[in-house]
Amino acid sequence: MIKLDVNNVSKNFGGLLAVNHVSFQVRGPELIGLIGPNGAGKTTLTNLLSGALKPTSGTIYMNDQRIDVLPPYKIAAVGLGRTFQVTRAFRRMTVLENLLVPALAMHPAARQGQFVKKAKEVAEFLTIDHLLNEYARALSGGQQKLLELGRLLMLDPDFIILDEPFAGVHPKLMEIIYDYIIQTNKNGKAFIIISHDMETIFTLSQRLLVMAFGKLIADGPPEEVRKDPAVIEAYLGSDSDKPWQPVRRQAQPA
Amino acid sequence: MRKNIRTLKLLTWILGTGFLILLPFLIPTRMHVAVIALYYAILASSWALLAGYGGQFSFAHMAFAGIGAYTAGLIGKFIRITSAPTGACTEFSLGNWWLVIQDTASPTCLESAKATMPLGTLIIKLPPWLDITMGILVGGLFGLLIGALVLRLRRTYLALFTIAFAEILRTVINAERDVTGGPGGLKVAPLFPNGASIGNHTFSPADKLPSYFVMLALFLLVMALMYWLAGSRFGLFIRSIREDEEAAASLGVDVVRYKILLFTVTAMIAAAAGGVYAHFVRVIAPNMMVIKEMSIVIAMAVIGGMESLLGAAIGAILIEFALEQLRSNITVGPFTLNMADWRLVVFGGLLMLTLRFWGNGLIYPIIQRITRGGVGEETVAKRLQQPAANDSSSLPDAEGPESVP
Amino acid sequence: MTHPSIFWYTLLWLILWGAIGALITPRVYARKDKFTHQTALLGSFIGAALGPIGLILLWIFTPQLTAKWLLGSGLIALFWLALAFAKAAPENLCVTSGSFVATQIANGLVIGSIYGLMALGLTLIFSILGIVSFAHGEFYMLGGMVTYYFTQVWFPDLSPLLGVAAAALFTFLLGALFELLFLRPMITGQIERPGEYAILVTFGLAFFLQYTTLSLVGASPKKVPRFFDYPKITVPSGTGEIIKITPGNLTFFDTISISSPRFTALIIALILLFALLYFLYKTWTGKALRAVSQDRQAAAVTGINPKRMNTLAFALGGMLAGISGASLVQVFSWVPWVGIPASSRSFVIIVLGGMGSLPGAFIGGLILGVVEALGAGCVPDPHRAAAYLPAYGMIILVLVLLLKPTGLFGREL
Repeated sequence: MIKLDVNNVSKNFGGLLAVNHVSFQVRGPELIGLIGPNGAGKTTLTNLLSGALKPTSGTIYMNDQRIDVLPPYKIAAVGLGRTFQVTRAFRRMTVLENLLVPALAMHPAARQGQFVKKAKEVAEFLTIDHLLNEYARALSGGQQKLLELGRLLMLDPDFIILDEPFAGVHPKLMEIIYDYIIQTNKNGKAFIIISHDMETIFTLSQRLLVMAFGKLIADGPPEEVRKDPAVIEAYLGSDSDKPWQPVRRQAQPA
Repeated sequence: MRKNIRTLKLLTWILGTGFLILLPFLIPTRMHVAVIALYYAILASSWALLAGYGGQFSFAHMAFAGIGAYTAGLIGKFIRITSAPTGACTEFSLGNWWLVIQDTASPTCLESAKATMPLGTLIIKLPPWLDITMGILVGGLFGLLIGALVLRLRRTYLALFTIAFAEILRTVINAERDVTGGPGGLKVAPLFPNGASIGNHTFSPADKLPSYFVMLALFLLVMALMYWLAGSRFGLFIRSIREDEEAAASLGVDVVRYKILLFTVTAMIAAAAGGVYAHFVRVIAPNMMVIKEMSIVIAMAVIGGMESLLGAAIGAILIEFALEQLRSNITVGPFTLNMADWRLVVFGGLLMLTLRFWGNGLIYPIIQRITRGGVGEETVAKRLQQPAANDSSSLPDAEGPESVP
Repeated sequence: MTHPSIFWYTLLWLILWGAIGALITPRVYARKDKFTHQTALLGSFIGAALGPIGLILLWIFTPQLTAKWLLGSGLIALFWLALAFAKAAPENLCVTSGSFVATQIANGLVIGSIYGLMALGLTLIFSILGIVSFAHGEFYMLGGMVTYYFTQVWFPDLSPLLGVAAAALFTFLLGALFELLFLRPMITGQIERPGEYAILVTFGLAFFLQYTTLSLVGASPKKVPRFFDYPKITVPSGTGEIIKITPGNLTFFDTISISSPRFTALIIALILLFALLYFLYKTWTGKALRAVSQDRQAAAVTGINPKRMNTLAFALGGMLAGISGASLVQVFSWVPWVGIPASSRSFVIIVLGGMGSLPGAFIGGLILGVVEALGAGCVPDPHRAAAYLPAYGMIILVLVLLLKPTGLFGREL
């Protein structure tokens, strides 16, 4: 069974507590939404989970293995995969090569040819199979997002973190991504999805985590969270006309 | 269609190799330049693997060539194999043979021991292939240590560290005159100390032709090795690291390990080239490691095309011949241009302009046109037909709302 | 009786326990579920200073890391090294003559202030453009060359300070021109791989400038006599003087001796440093520069043109290197490749001080200056001592990269 234990994790950027003593547990293939106003620390939290950043205090266990001390590639091998807020396809490599990288990384003894068939299937599922021999830089932004999801399918982790999968994506592609999440979740994978698209996230997720100012202020089923006064306070504040602010890049530490 | 391209590629390789083998008969008087050109071709293309494929910018490539050359030279200067113990030098027993080190503390120990050793005692230098191999290992060791130290950090650190390392290594070799001969240079035995014979033709040790074929063999071997590496999972991983380290790591690629491996392998290739070079030119000086040499190698790789091993190699060969052609002074009216210096200005300027305007180099695009970048003809045709089709299927970009008004 | 080997054994001992401390301490902290941040650094310092006993105590108590612990244990480790050196080479000038050591340190600080000024230019460029200029040493070299031609060849009658000003103007314009022609395309999206491009194109510039200079002026060393002859002053006159000035030299407290060209260079460096601080903190343009270094996009919103700031930063950085060269051309003899070791030195300094940190660059310069001066003065064989001058920087660089890659004042990650 998939298990994730985040215990009292904090991250301090030179005085700014970007993540402030956050704790939560995941048991089994849950579909979790992570929301919060800009600068709440959502992306920092995902970076801590994936090992791109090391927490200043606290511990993270996945399947009873401590992962906050591991390098990112080992965390991927333990079974945690992620996408990035700004798509990060390998731009000067073809779509096929992009898809082969995680598969080969996970199987040190395998030959390249073994995974071509699987890569084609994945590409077909994501409707980018006609682009297999194109360089990733020739793809549109939405297609690059699909490619990132395809890489995750090739990596085949138990636990998947998606950072803004719906931001700036055409409605048609959004449907594909939505299907991808539901399908993969049915196959027994757990998800944490960060999104500003409230309608989608409320219908999609079974459980919602809400962050504000680095703290986890709510954790529960969407219906409960919607009524939580702390959440309403954090989101609405004084300006009740604009409940959901537009997407903006969070300050990325250099 | 794809098959045609493969045949074309194979044909190009066969023609190219054949041309290089026949080159001595075309320009028998320019063999020295030809060997040096191949030496630069090995360095430029291995640097292209490191920087163009792997995205790791090292300025210590010539330093590694220097390590290979000096290891070979110093072994030739200080180490002998004898069939009887000297009793005077530092020595290790290898069964019936003794490995003798004449260190700087007792430089004449072997000479003085000759009197006491039994008559007919053999004193042998290590053969060139062995000291070149040692040079490769030492180069690899340095590559491993530097890589382990610096490659965990951002890529600018590698550039900063290697440029400093290269300079320090040169100053140390300059300063330790007792060991290395300092700026005056270190004598190295020729590649074929007793000459070589092919068929019934005998070459003296000073003949360039046998050395040419040794350097050519090394070049072909290195190119084959690098193409194999680039085509394997190793090549895939280092390219993904070049594109985006963080993303590659999040997909399970052991980024640091592959970077160190890449750095070590290219350091060993450079050391191998340096070792053969040392035996060819027979006097090596710390000048082979100056920043100027590194700049020339980089200019060769960039002008040839950093992302193509073959492009970098061709660039190196063409530029080396061009540099030799441009040596003679040019007189324009009352002014005489000292081309020995000005030609480097020309190549420095060409390097900057190539970087600025032709990011893929000048030769790689030609190769790409012939091989279509390894992509099938159908794909190329499709790209030409519907350039905008892909983009119309979705909104412009995820970055849209993030840009600053 | 001397024991030369005692120094090397002490060094080995320090390295051994430092390495053990660096490797094991983070694991001990991690096992106790404690904050492992920078404990490798702490472990290595404690290991080097106090050996196994210190390490065992550290592992038992696992205290929170503070700057005091680091500074204290670092000083103790240095003390052991100095003690071992004194035992190993009792006749060495560094051990027998306090005045020699004081003079070396003072001279190190003087030269270090120029190193710091030059590195300040490099770190300024890094903090605004996000790139390291590999041609920084060539701006230094050109500053000296322009001063030489201005004061010795073209206008020998004018004040040498005008030569320094000419060098400043020349390197400023050169920097601006290069930025406009070659670096501007990076931010306008004309270059596909900006990070790689920046490394190579500045390296190419270094090569280009070196050989253009060589072709134009030749390889023979250029010498500039000292800018100013100081008046003869002794304060107070008679015995036990505090300051004694002669045309070529200054002596303080009868012990510390600094040659007057170096002192002039120090004055120029200090004036420039304060001018730079005034510019960065008091003028609108300077504030805009700092704003861009902190947040490009936010600065752009407030009406600052980041492109112009890029040009300004690169030009200013080049100018700082140029002035450093101009003020040192009267101290050293000048050849077209004098910039290469100067470049490496600046790299060491900005890594030591923390990439992008302005105070770090200046303090790093002072530290490197002192280390080089002591290293050069204390190595017995003078020929070697001079040759190994750049190697001390290398040792510092390796230590910093091993122990604290973010440098003294670098931003934490």
